[in-house]
Amino acid sequence: MVPIEVTAFDLLKNYTESLNRHFANEEGKEEIINDIESRIGELFQQRINKGATCITEDDVNAIIKNMGRPEEFETMDDTQTASATSSAGQQESTGSSSSSTGHKRLFRNENDKVLGGVCSGLANYFNIDVVVARIIFVILLFSGIGFLTYIIMWIAVPSSSTEQIGGSRRKLFRDPDEKMIGGVCSGIGHYFGIHPWIPRTLFLLPFLSFLSRWGHWGGFWDFGDVIRFTFSPTSLIVYIILWIVIPEALSTSEKLEMKGEKVDMNSIKASVMEEMKGVGKKAEKFGKEASTVINEKASAMASDVKNFSKRNRGGLGNVIAMIAKIFAYFIIGCVCFAFVMALFGLGVFSVGIFPLKDYVLRGGWQNFYAWGTLILFIAVPIIAIITWLIRKIARIKNNSRILSFTFSSLWAIGWVCIILLISSIVRDFKSPSRLDEQPVELVNPQVNKMVVTSSLPFTKKYYGRNWIRFEPFENLIDEDTAYVRNVYVEITKSPNDSFQVTMKKMARGNTRADANSLARLIKFEVEQKDSILLLEKGIAINKTDKFRNQMIVITVYVPVGKQVRISKGIGWPVHIGSRNWDDNWNNDYYDGEQDIRWQSDVDYTMKEDGLYTLDGRKADGWNDKRKQKKTSDTNADEDDNYRYNNEPLNKIDSIKIKLENEKQRVKDSLEKAKEKIEQQLEKFGNNSDNPVPLSAQSPFNNPVMNIN
Amino acid sequence: MRKGVLEFCILSIIKEGEAYPSDIIEKMKAANLNILEGTLYPLLTRLKNAELLSYRWEESTSGPPRKYFSLTDKGAEFYKELETTWFELANAVRALTRTEQEPIDNNNFNNPQ
Repeated sequence: MVPIEVTAFDLLKNYTESLNRHFANEEGKEEIINDIESRIGELFQQRINKGATCITEDDVNAIIKNMGRPEEFETMDDTQTASATSSAGQQESTGSSSSSTGHKRLFRNENDKVLGGVCSGLANYFNIDVVVARIIFVILLFSGIGFLTYIIMWIAVPSSSTEQIGGSRRKLFRDPDEKMIGGVCSGIGHYFGIHPWIPRTLFLLPFLSFLSRWGHWGGFWDFGDVIRFTFSPTSLIVYIILWIVIPEALSTSEKLEMKGEKVDMNSIKASVMEEMKGVGKKAEKFGKEASTVINEKASAMASDVKNFSKRNRGGLGNVIAMIAKIFAYFIIGCVCFAFVMALFGLGVFSVGIFPLKDYVLRGGWQNFYAWGTLILFIAVPIIAIITWLIRKIARIKNNSRILSFTFSSLWAIGWVCIILLISSIVRDFKSPSRLDEQPVELVNPQVNKMVVTSSLPFTKKYYGRNWIRFEPFENLIDEDTAYVRNVYVEITKSPNDSFQVTMKKMARGNTRADANSLARLIKFEVEQKDSILLLEKGIAINKTDKFRNQMIVITVYVPVGKQVRISKGIGWPVHIGSRNWDDNWNNDYYDGEQDIRWQSDVDYTMKEDGLYTLDGRKADGWNDKRKQKKTSDTNADEDDNYRYNNEPLNKIDSIKIKLENEKQRVKDSLEKAKEKIEQQLEKFGNNSDNPVPLSAQSPFNNPVMNIN
Repeated sequence: MRKGVLEFCILSIIKEGEAYPSDIIEKMKAANLNILEGTLYPLLTRLKNAELLSYRWEESTSGPPRKYFSLTDKGAEFYKELETTWFELANAVRALTRTEQEPIDNNNFNNPQ
């Protein structure tokens, strides 16, 4: 601690401020200032040791006179900096970079600009002609990258005029005095000369709507609403990035620059007077000094190592190294870009499926892991890479070690979260259930034709191919129930002359008992209405029972000689023939996709040896069809004519078939109409004395109905 | 000050042994070469950033710890280059400005020719 007069301190503060501004463009700015400050501190100490009670104004003046005012060494600065750059290894080109000051930095050139001065800044930086730079940019513009690059650089690269010493142009800083969180908004407000609450509301607005939506929908969104859904976290991410990227206005001159006031001695003095209350800061400084000593010792050691490795590079070697560097940067850039995009996609996807997490996760720790994965594993690297890029472009150098350490450790925690999450989910899905098939009671198993349809047909068949879909989940989410369309229909031959329907419930769980009990909890209604077999729209899953890949297999046993039809609206795969679901039912889903080639809305007849279309073609089982698909991959429109793949038909035959088809269809509809009319008549005629027999105990009993 | 001369002086002082900035100032003052201390620090930092100098910290009895600068290998190389160019220049200037009677004394300078 050094006792110092208030006026002397004032003077000293002014002096360091002026030094700060003078070295603003210098690379080792902090170091230079630190050196000078510690030297001043040493001189103060000497003075105290000589017996002075307090540092006076005169003392400070004497020291400053020794050190020299920035204005004084400004005159020699040009030549010095030029020689410094030339000393960095390029003595031959002495006069070429006379206009560029000191160490080269990338600026937008305000003096020679067409749009934002980006090109001329780049040209200046790389020592090429402006025209060349512009031509390159125009070429890039056609390839599509140029536009975005230009905009990004326009924003990220500082303008040359802002860097001019004492320039009255505003600079973007975070305002530590009027901050709510990080001072980003008030800094933006200062920059644009608007009230800080305007940017604040702009930031909060999407966030508020985010909250209100959360409240309204109980935490669920429709999937289509991506833009609004992702917008609010975006504003949060933007805020965080700005927080990291924008420097805080710490010194007085920075604060003045932030507010756009001209920085000169008087204005600094005026605002320093405000700060004078905190003289105690001086003590803090000495504490800081100790830590910088340690830091710089470390960095000196690091630079020693660098020295050793960076020696011996000739002229040609330099060029090759430069080319290699550019190439490496290009590749790294591509990889980074791909990585960021992949992460971003993953982020959007996981945000999209996030509302579903309550149906899968048991809560508690799993919930925690899920959040950890989302934030730490996905969001953190996105923010980190964007931040890194911006910092790289803007050439901000300080603090990056802390940042990278923070980011990497957060990401490591993210890894832990995702591993724990996946392992715990896998454990929950470990064992499959084993329940027997149950017969479904049919009202009328004797109908001539069975039409299988769902109670809520999916009007849009391609809904499932929406941009986001967590595999079996359908887009049907109510307040606290999600619908899973894990419903499969199988068609097979009936052992007797009546329709039979069985249902098999399946689920997974941590243990077989768990899985079995979960499977038993599945409620799935199958109802027969006349010749229509009505299935529920999906398996309802609520938050307490959780999603454990619950699955329903409906098997329709079709008697020989009767017809069956799967209506189009059903939307889920249909299998012909029977399979052993217990063994490999999990991967069969994808095989099932191929079975969609079984045509919906087409009538099939059951014969002794399998299903046939009405025109006499055999409907193949799923196994055969798969083989067939392999052989006939070239067939583009196989969906339409796979039935004709086996043997080529001539035109007359196909027309015949069509005619017959048409005939049958008309016949069918007539029959249906007849049925309806007769039913109506029966209802009207003998309501009381001849009620329709309700379903008997078992569908195998074949209760007789005398409709026809 | 001409380009590079100040660096040349500083490097030659540091070449003699590790030096503390105020030592450098003292020595230059002794040689009747007055520079402001404020100009020395940025210069040293630039030389250090160009990897011509390295430094170590040393605790000091009076005030904060001091930086002692020393020449790196690269710095020594650079110094040699500066030296040759300097003496070339000096010789050239002397040759131009000498009076006829005065012969040049080449022995003091390690002129490559």
